[in-house]
Order: sequence, then structure tokens, then C-alpha cells
Amino acid sequence: MLTYILRRIIQTLVVIILLSYVIFTIMALMPGDPVELMISSNPKITPEDVIRLREFYGLDQPAWKRYGNWVSTLAQGDLGYSRTYRVPVTDLLGPRLWNTFVLSMAAMVFSLVVAIPLGIMSALKPGGKLDSFLNFFSFAGISIPSFWLGIMLIIIFAVKLGWFPAGGTQTIGLEGASIWARIFDSTYFLVLPVLSLSIQGIGRFVRFTRSAMMEALRNDFIRTAKAKGLPRSAVLWKHAFRNALIPLITVVALSISSVFSGAILTETVFSYQGVGKLVFDSIIANDFNVAMVSFVISISMVLIMNLVADILYGFADPRISYS
Amino acid sequence: MNEVKKQNEIQRSETAQSMKVIVFRQFLEHKMAVVGAIVILLLLTAAIGAPVITAVTGLDPDRQNVSARYLLPFENAMAPADIRETEIEHWIAEHPDQASALQKSIVEKELVQGGEEDVLYELAALDPTEAKQLLAAVQTPEAFELKKVFDTWSTFHLFGTDEIGRDVFIRLIYGARVSMGVGILVALASGLIGFLIGAVAGFYGGVIDTALMRVTDALISLPLIPVLIVFAAIDLQKIPWLYGLIGGANESIFKMVIILCLFSWMTVARLVRGSILSLREREFVLAAKTLGARDRTIIVRHLFPNVIAPMLVSITLGVGESILFEAALSFLGLGIMPPTPSWGNMLNNAQEVIYNNIWLAILPGVMILLTVVSFNFLGDGLQDAMDPKSIRR
Amino acid sequence: MQNMALALFVTLGLGLHAGAAPSNKELKIGISQEFENMNPLIMTMSATTYMYRMVGRTLVVLDADAKWVPNLAKEIPSLEKGTAKIVEVGGKKKLIANWEILENAKWGDGKPVVCEDFAFTRTVAASPNVSVGEKETFTQVEKIEWDEKTPKKCVFTYEKPKWDFYQLANFFPLPKHIEGPVWEKYGKQKEGYEKNSNYVKSPTNKGLYNGPYLVTSVRLGDHVAFEPNPNFYGEKPKIQKIIVKLISNTGTMEANLRSGTIDMISTLGFALDQALAFDKKVKSEGLPYVTHFVPSITYEHIDLLLDNPILKDLTVRKALMHSINREDLVKALFEGKQSAAQHFVSPKDPWYTTDPKFVTTYRYSKREAQKLFDEAGWKVGADGYRYKDGKKLSLTFMTTAGNKTRELVQTYLQEQWKQVGVEILIKNEPAKVFFGETTRKRKFGSMAMYAWVSSPENNPRSTLHSKSIPSEKNGWSGQNNPGWVNAGVDKAIDALDTEFDAKKRMAYAWEMQKAYTQEVPVIPLYYRSDISVVPTSLKNYRMPGHQFHETTEIEKWTF
Repeated sequence: MLTYILRRIIQTLVVIILLSYVIFTIMALMPGDPVELMISSNPKITPEDVIRLREFYGLDQPAWKRYGNWVSTLAQGDLGYSRTYRVPVTDLLGPRLWNTFVLSMAAMVFSLVVAIPLGIMSALKPGGKLDSFLNFFSFAGISIPSFWLGIMLIIIFAVKLGWFPAGGTQTIGLEGASIWARIFDSTYFLVLPVLSLSIQGIGRFVRFTRSAMMEALRNDFIRTAKAKGLPRSAVLWKHAFRNALIPLITVVALSISSVFSGAILTETVFSYQGVGKLVFDSIIANDFNVAMVSFVISISMVLIMNLVADILYGFADPRISYS
Repeated sequence: MNEVKKQNEIQRSETAQSMKVIVFRQFLEHKMAVVGAIVILLLLTAAIGAPVITAVTGLDPDRQNVSARYLLPFENAMAPADIRETEIEHWIAEHPDQASALQKSIVEKELVQGGEEDVLYELAALDPTEAKQLLAAVQTPEAFELKKVFDTWSTFHLFGTDEIGRDVFIRLIYGARVSMGVGILVALASGLIGFLIGAVAGFYGGVIDTALMRVTDALISLPLIPVLIVFAAIDLQKIPWLYGLIGGANESIFKMVIILCLFSWMTVARLVRGSILSLREREFVLAAKTLGARDRTIIVRHLFPNVIAPMLVSITLGVGESILFEAALSFLGLGIMPPTPSWGNMLNNAQEVIYNNIWLAILPGVMILLTVVSFNFLGDGLQDAMDPKSIRR
Repeated sequence: MQNMALALFVTLGLGLHAGAAPSNKELKIGISQEFENMNPLIMTMSATTYMYRMVGRTLVVLDADAKWVPNLAKEIPSLEKGTAKIVEVGGKKKLIANWEILENAKWGDGKPVVCEDFAFTRTVAASPNVSVGEKETFTQVEKIEWDEKTPKKCVFTYEKPKWDFYQLANFFPLPKHIEGPVWEKYGKQKEGYEKNSNYVKSPTNKGLYNGPYLVTSVRLGDHVAFEPNPNFYGEKPKIQKIIVKLISNTGTMEANLRSGTIDMISTLGFALDQALAFDKKVKSEGLPYVTHFVPSITYEHIDLLLDNPILKDLTVRKALMHSINREDLVKALFEGKQSAAQHFVSPKDPWYTTDPKFVTTYRYSKREAQKLFDEAGWKVGADGYRYKDGKKLSLTFMTTAGNKTRELVQTYLQEQWKQVGVEILIKNEPAKVFFGETTRKRKFGSMAMYAWVSSPENNPRSTLHSKSIPSEKNGWSGQNNPGWVNAGVDKAIDALDTEFDAKKRMAYAWEMQKAYTQEVPVIPLYYRSDISVVPTSLKNYRMPGHQFHETTEIEKWTF
């Protein structure tokens, strides 16, 4: 078990390092650099300024050399400096990582809370009215572009009805308010983004719970339990659902990366101050350090979550051994 | 006698049904899949026939009309006055005799005030419907000819127009061309890549297998959107050889296909590897091996037909997924570049114009949803139909 | 249960966000552009300079009437008054100016603003370890001296005697008593100062600012909050709290305004189309807002690549001018809210002229255009397009993809040129590629449409001088993208800087406008308008239409 975990950690590390190099080189292939952007916005910049600034930012060096520099400063614990915001990357990242974490987790929990009961109901009467209805909607949920759903939600709930804010993370000026007021406020801003982000998960989980439950219900021990005269709910929850839970964990773990992916789009649509939007903005604005760091951190987050889920899976299902 | 006949019938019903027929029948039972297939066929026909639609209706996805922006669905647009004038000028230059005849008859009937020379230009300045009524009143063949020119100025817009007066309906059709084209191309190409990688890994096993599967696992666990964003932001001109290969008008489309292919072959690869691992030890493969068949032959001739069914399902589902990714990237402004319409880039600016024309934000999304849902249902139907476990008699 | 939760959210939402009428208690301003850390030396983004004028002032500034007025300075030095003079030092001409800082000009912590602060700023800006964008702003001043007894009377020595020496509107002083120690400690490291500056580490430190407001909270990518500075030298600010909120998705700007999340939309908010649509609603629904459209000095134009064999011919360029109706363009597309341009100088600029002695105007006339094309040998072919020696009159027209206004204008012009037989092929690129590669390296083929931002009485050296033609040799740095070479204009540009006689400067400027309109290296289109939306009850709000935003007068705003 321990060797398995160690091996997986090393593998994950190797993937992260390799990927960071690939992404670094790829980013060097993006058009424009910060200096070029500066020139286009300020006609007063002189040729001397341009040469000086290029040298200053080290843009005259080849990509691999810059990567080397980047890694060595990173190794010293310095995440670098944002060219766009002109502050250290650490200052930018902290609150946004938290915001994204809250958004993704809320979406995940919400979709599970909605999907699991629906999936079970569906499985109990396969082919029934509710089942086909849910089937249709879970397909729609999987197929709907989340960013478009976001726009539609804004149109309906923010523009037409005015129930929820069209975007943002929290009300400004609540810093002094009580903790509960602040949590309430953030929740209020979270409603639409969470809705748009969780719809795909709901679709997927409903379908998955349904098939996992049906599989579980087909087992002999269910028949035995029923025959024993156990109450319906006990059969359902104690025996069937517990068995359906194991494959569900895998799917949930695998969904983490897609929820995170979706968060980028959701955050962009709702101007939500998360790390996903930061990744996108920094790539668009050629903000090298921020793009690299937020990218590497977000990928590591996903990979580590996967790793944890894998290990948990091992504990949940005694049939699996890692030796 | 009768008995024998019955027996025969039973036998036929049990044996004569080929696999294809069974699969097809099973498929037909999945109603949503059938609906999906029909929708896809319709969209494909529209997409392939887009130039025909342009030729028949005269709608052009790039034709802009600044005097008819943000039209709502079912509205008519009229060409601006200066264009009307130029077209009349052209007409007079091309048909000088008819023009002078017409001028005369209009002046004779005293329908329009003014000198003989300017009479036709006066018509252009008039409200077009009024002018057409006038021409109808003249009742000469020349007037009829000119009226045809007048008719081309008024255009009907089923889904309205966008921020620069382009017809939304035809743009959605051309968008289907791009979005579905990218989706299908990516799904097929990544199916092929996935097959090759999966087959090589499964067939040879050992170090090759481990290495390939590590890469597959690593890629599968990545959050795709950020990775795709980084790749899509590349400036192709900085990679000369690739630019030489695909640079040009459709650069962004090819770029999109390549990028999406890079990151969507993994499911198929895993699937193929799994099946081939079990097939590898089967008698027919061993037999082929002992007979001295080359590896390539075994993989293509003997193994491929055995994995084609699950691959087909995976490819079908892949189309929907690729369309979603393309739309997402284009929505972020990194995918298909305007003016080439794709559903994603049509949505790109739609947010900004919610207040001008809400339909611009609704329609492309509906198209994406419709298409992707159809492909997903189709894939589901195919899976049900081909899964031997679920064959229902 | 779910319904209850929903109802709860809704009531909470309405409670928090009901659009209370804005008052002097609080003003929430919406911007759509990102802002950065507010170190005045380093900042480059418009949104940051927009906000910085609330908290930091310079010696002088250009006001809403396009007049130079003193801010931190008592008065503007001039040769006539004897407060500035030209001297010769070691055979070189220099300029010495006496700047006196206002007696009550103080930093937010009550310490006086002194010459030493300016001298310190000059030292920091000149250092190779600090990434100042436009260095000349600071280095044009060679040294700053003062008498210990009169720390507010400064003597600036300028490197060259330039007439516009007093236009130090971007020379923001840094507080030495706060930033000095940082500089001492980190100044030797590359980027050491900017990373450790108090503007980064403690941006709410009152001593960093000398303007009417102080920063009370900053959240990058989200908002900045301000409150009045009790130590401000000028008029007492009326509004007690200002919040600038970033709404990067302009589509939701209007929803945010209507729901009261913001009270006004700054110059850096609405796109023209959105503003036009909103303005109509203001009128039809009687909303309590005013939409301002103020012509700015942002000059939209089409660069003609003069190396192109077709465009080399002046007759063709003139014909192109005659074939487009710019007056109708601004009316049809912008409802007359932006104004057509004659040349590179804006009507706001004292140098502006339309005197036919200098400025050639190109009336919209298809007939004239057709005559000129015929003259140049481009004859109409069977398909309605013009041909010469079997070659079609076809030009590529590039601009930034996704910019709706530009695409709209492009379409309009394409249609007009088509009518005189010119084929226009549209090829648009994302702004990053367009500016980063295409225009900078002059790869736009024939036409490129974009804007120049300038300021009144600005020397057009970077855009019109023949030395500013971008090339490999000068690191692709000039902005004379058409590649226009005109000896007269070069001479005028070179002479302009050191010409102290305003009349003569004007004459130079007119000469340039003459050459510009005669030779048509660029097709002038229109001046963009600055747009903002403010509540009707906001008083003393003036939009300047140039790069020194309306916030230079924010202390006067009141409800």
C-alpha cells in the first residue's frame, strides 16, 4: 500500500514537471509579449524603452533558459511577480484559489445531493414515466454548454427577474459585517454560477447512479434480503446503495477535473474571482508568471485530488489491493 | 407439412437474422436515438447543402447590411438608399434601351415628378414598396424587369440579423458546417489515433504498454479546458512548418482540429487496449501468428473488426464532446476566428448584445444543445443496440 | 424547503441590492477594464490611471477644457514670467524652471509634499532596476535642486529646452519618507523596489497618497474603495465613500447598474453600441441617468501601406478618399455620437485647422472617385470591379477581430468601395496578433484600421516621422506603419520640440496637416467618443475627452 502511494506521488510529480515545461514552451509561442502590448497602448514609448524593457523582462532569452530561471526562482519559494497586476503572484492567488475551491465544491455537493436521489428513483422503476423523463433531462444536462446555460441564467434571473446578481463574488463594503452576513452574501452570489456549473454533473451522476443501482439491485443478496422480509428501505440503503456507492466514488473522483475545467468557463461568464478566470485572463494578457503558477497549481490540485480518491477507493472496497 | 413450415419459420427467425439486422432492430427500439439520428441527418444535410441554400435563397453568411442590424426573427430588411441607387445605375448601364423606354412610359403616365433622365433614380429614393407599386402600375415588360431588381433589395430574415446585419439563420447553417465538421473530424481522427495507440499498447504489452498507458492516464486526468486554452492561444506563425502546412483562411479550423485531437484520443485508446489484451490470446490470433502473419496484418485484419463496435459508440459520443469543446474555446475567443461563423464564436459576443437582441444569445446555444444531445442519444442507442448483453428478443 | 430557501435568498437579495438613490454618502463606479497595483511609477493600465487621479496629483494637469492648470504647483513656470529660462551649460542648451509646491500640499499622513519627493522619484525612475514604461517623462528632468530652508521651492533642470517642459502631468511624486527606506533596502535588486514597495505591501497606507481621496481597500480584479483625504490641499471632497468596481463582462454592466450594484459607469465601461441602446432606454423609460458622449482625441483611421504597388499611387489614395462618405458613416453607425475626422489633429486641439489653405478635404463623390480611378488606369471590368494590366483592384483590409464597432465600420466601407469597383478582402485578427505582429512589423498588406491615442499639442514624431517607420533595425518600435516619408514633415517634427513660439508651432502643425491631407498616407475616419453613464443628480461632472480622466476633478463631484 505504502509503496503504491509513493509510486503514485512520484508519478504525479513527474507529470507536473513535464507538463510545466511543455506549457512553458507553448506559452512562449503565444503572440505578443507584455512589451508589445505596452507599445500598442502608449505611442510615447521610444525604441530605447522597448529594448530596455525586453531586456529587463528577459524576453530576449530563449524559452528553455527562461524556464530554468523560472524554476530556480520557484525553488527559492518565490512564485514570481505578475506583469499585469504588478504584485507578487502569491498575493493574487490565495483568495482566488479559495473562491474556486468553494465554487467547485458547492457545485459538486449540489449535483450529488440532487442527482443521487433522482438516480435511485429512476432505478427503482426502470422504464417508468419518471425514468424516461429523468433520462431525457440527464442527457440534456450532459449536452448543454455550461457557459451558454450561464448566459441564459443571467438573462432570466439577473436581467429579467433581477433576483440574483449578474456577476461578481461578493458585495463590496461588507468587510465589517458579521460572518453570517458575509457567508450569506457569498452564497447569494454563488447561486447562479453553481447552478450552471453543476448541471453537467447532475446529468452524469443521475445516469450513473441509476445504472449502478440497477446493477446492485440485480445481485443475489438483494433477492435474499427481500426474501428474508427485510423492510424495503433497509434493503435499498443498507444493501443496494452501499454497493452502488463504490463505483460512484470513482466517477465522482474523475469528475473533479471536469468540474474544475468547467469552473473556468463559469467564472468567466459570471466574472467570478476564481483561479480559473485568472488562468484565462493571464494567458490572454500574456502574464507569464501568473499563467504558469496558477496553471501548475490548478493541475496539481486536480491530480492530487485524483490520487486521494484512488487511495480512498482502496479503503472503501476491500476487494481491491494495491500490493 | 404445416408443422414443418412452422418449424422452418421458427428456424429462419432464429438463424437468418444477421447481426446487422439485430443491431438495427435493437436500435430502432431506442426512440430517442432514432430522433437523434434524424436530427443529425437533417443538420448534416443542411450543413453540406449550405452553398445550395445560399444559391437558392440568396442568403450569404458574410453579407452585411448596416442599415438592418439587430433585426428580430421574422423581420424584413431593406438595402440602403445608396446601394439601391448604384444598382439602378448598373441596370440602366446594362439595359439602356429598356431604361429609356421605361423612363418614357413613367413620364407619360405622370407617375413621378421630375425630368425624364432622373425618373428612375427618383424611384430609388422612394420607399421601396411604394416604388414597386408604381412599377406595377406602369405595366410594361421593362417595368417588370426593373421590379425584379427591386425585389432583390428586400430580404427576409427568419432568425433576424446580428450586430452587423448578417442573417442569423444562414450563419447558423454555416456554423453547423464548421462546428459539426470540427466535431466529426476530431472524433474520427482521435478514434484512429486512439486505436493505433491502444492496439500497439495492447498487442505488444510490456514496456511499450506501460509507457503508453502512463501517458494516457496522465492526459485523461488533466483538466482539459485550461490545457486547451493554452494550446489554442499559440500563434501559429511562430511554428513555421506547421504554419506552412495549415496557414491560410481556414487556419483556425485546422488548428482547432489538431488541438482537440491531441487531447481526445485517450478514451478510445483505453478501450481498444482493453479489448485487445483479451483478444490477443484468442485462438484466431494465435493461428494467424503461427501462420506467419505480420503484426500489422493481425492488428488491421483480425483485431480491428473486433473492436469496431465499441469504438463506434465512443466516436459518436466523442463528436458531441468535441463540439462542446470547440464551442467553449470559440466562446472564449480562442477557437474559430471570425468572420468564419461557428456556434461558439457566435455566442462569443452575444453576451454584450443581450440588450440589443436577445436571440443572438439564445439561438447558437440551442443549436449546440440540439446537436450534442442528438449525438449523445445516438451513441447511447448504438451502445444499447450493439451490447450483446442487452440483446432483447 | 427549496422554495423557502429560494424565497430567503430573494428577500435577502432585494434587501441588499435595492437600488437606493445615490447620495453623497457613497458612489459606486463601474469599470470594465482590469487595473493593477497603484504604484504611479509602474502603472500602465488606463483603469489604474483613472483611479490614481483620485488619490494622487501632479504639479500640473490638463483640465476638461484642455487647458493646463497647476495642481500641486502654485503656478506654471514660463519664459515670459521669468520663472523659467534657457541657459547654456558646457555648450549645451538647457532649461531651468522654478516650480513651487503649494504650501498646504501634504501626503495623507500630514507630511508635506516637498522637492525631495520629486528628486527621489526621478532617482527611482532612472534606475535600470525598475521597469518604468515611458522613462523620458522622468529623465527629461536632469536634476532637481532646492534650498534646505525652502523645501517647497524646486529648481528643475531639463535636459533639453523643450517648449512643453511644463507638461509634467505624468510625473507623479513618490513620498520619500515612506518609499525611501524600501528603495534603500531593495533598490539594488532587479525589480526589488517594485515588488517590495508599500504600494504593493500596504496599499492602504495614507502616506502614499496626496489626492482628494485615500485608498481604504484594494482587491485586484475586483474593486478599490476610497474615502476622503483630510489632508488634501484643495477643495474638500463631497462624496464620503467611493468604490470602483470591476465588471469585466460588459454585457452585465447594465444589469449591475439597474440593480444598484453600481451607481455610474465610467469612461472605461460601455461599448458604443451598448451605450446607444441604453441611452434610448433612458429616454423611453425615464431612467434617472445621463449618458455622456464626448468626442475624444482617440483617432480611428486606416493606415495605407505605401509599399503596396496599388497604394503607392497618390491618385488611387485620393480616389479611395472620395469614395467614402464619412459624414454618413458616423450618422448611420453611431447616430452622430462620434465625429468624422479630417486628419490626425482633433478639433479639441489648439493646432486643429480646417483652413482650405492647408487642409485638403475629400468630399464624398462617387463620380470624382471614378474619374480618379480611370485616370490612374484602373478601368471597370465586366464584373464591376476595376482592372489594370489584367490585375484586379483588390485590397486586404485588416483590423482587430471581435471589435464590433470596427467590424461594422469595415463592412460599411467595404460596401462603399465595392460600389466604385474596389474589391475589399476582409482579414481580421485577434488584437494580440494584430498589434503584436501585423501592424508592428508592417505585414498588413494594404489597409489596417485601428486607433491612435494622443494628447493635445502632441508631437506626432512616433507616427509620422520617417525615422519611426518600424524596421528590424529599430527593433520594430516606431508607429509610422504606412511608411510615409515626407522631408517637410520630418523637419517640422524635429523643430517642433524646441520651438517656444506658440504661433510658429501652430504653423508647423498646419504644414504637417497640409502634407498629411495632400498625400493621404492614412485615411482618417472618425474620433471616438468617451462614454459614461452617471445619475442625473450628480453635479459638477465633466468629461475631458483626453487621457487625463474626469477623476482629476473628483473632489468637486456632488449630489
